[in-house]
Amino acid sequence: NFTRDPVPEAVSGPPPPPPPLSAQQFSALTEVLFRFLTEPKEVERFLAQLSDFATMNKISLGPLKNIVKSILLVPNGALKRNLSSEQVKADFIALGLSEEKASYFAEQWKVNSPTLTRLAVGQTLMINQLIDMEWKFGVTAGSSELEKVGSIFLQLKLVIKKGSQLENVYVELTLPQFYSFLHEMERVKTSLESFS
Amino acid sequence: MAALRDGEFAALQSLLKAPSKDAVRQLCQECFSSPPAALGPLAQRACLGLAAGPEEAEQLVSALHNLTRHVVYYGLTRAEDILSLFPENFHQNLKNLLTKIILENISAWRNEAQASQISLPRLVDMDWRVDIKTSSDSIMRMAVPTCLLQLKIQEDAALCGNNPVVSALTVELSKETLDTMLEGLGRIRDQLSAVANK
Repeated sequence: NFTRDPVPEAVSGPPPPPPPLSAQQFSALTEVLFRFLTEPKEVERFLAQLSDFATMNKISLGPLKNIVKSILLVPNGALKRNLSSEQVKADFIALGLSEEKASYFAEQWKVNSPTLTRLAVGQTLMINQLIDMEWKFGVTAGSSELEKVGSIFLQLKLVIKKGSQLENVYVELTLPQFYSFLHEMERVKTSLESFS
Repeated sequence: MAALRDGEFAALQSLLKAPSKDAVRQLCQECFSSPPAALGPLAQRACLGLAAGPEEAEQLVSALHNLTRHVVYYGLTRAEDILSLFPENFHQNLKNLLTKIILENISAWRNEAQASQISLPRLVDMDWRVDIKTSSDSIMRMAVPTCLLQLKIQEDAALCGNNPVVSALTVELSKETLDTMLEGLGRIRDQLSAVANK
């Protein structure tokens, strides 16, 4: 279920003799895996926890890493394809995991999938994403053409993510433009809410 | 505050040679709107209409430019204030005509001065649309609404002269970003009303 491509050799081929994990060890490992999946930036921490796991359970790190790599393919594929926990369980059984362990993993999958889904959505492409907005407003007191002005100006600084860089855009608005802008943004909010 | 030096008022009397009142009106408008650097060519064009030599035309155009700008700068709006700028012996009818023309144009000229003021790039227009994202490379099925906002921004008018550059910037906002932005805009509105009510 989790992939349309032929399952990679490392996963479906004769597996390296897997260290027989007890149910308890398996659940500890699963916890480490999901902690990483829900916080994918914490790579260092993940590797450290794997290393600790290996030491504590007297397993060599090398084979453990290979197993983990294979296991991780399933949740990643499942996430992309919006698989249900039954489908995830079926996949693990098809790959040779025991019924008990597959069930356990699928349960954890169900519990964590809202977070994982939110992460995946967050990674979805955004064009010129608005990151931040700063503003100031003031009064123009005078200018080289007019001794006394007394008009209000509003300045916005928009911080925009273009590709991997941040760009600042500065814009000035008159008061009527500001109220019009606010009004339009409120309409956008109503529109977004009706689709949520 | 002297609007013009003595010689300049004398130069204004060249307007008596103008073919019509409308010609005077036209010249006043052109002299106000022209930046100092463009007065030379304007004077050359004025030569023909006024049957004046180049030097005379230049002095006239410069004097008219200074007079109109002076009135707008100090925000003079009453006829008496403008009339009092002229020296005693100035041609009466011409004085009245110029005052009348200036009064007619004063608020348009004031707006023009404000519009060409230096500023940050200005918002000229804005459009938006709401899309629903249904699929992406990271997740095959979803229904996430997102907002695309297009801002048309004009560069500083003073820098671009007569050809302002307008650029369009399209920005994407998620619902969370929009909520935060609205919070900020709401605070601006509250502060603005606080200032207005003082």
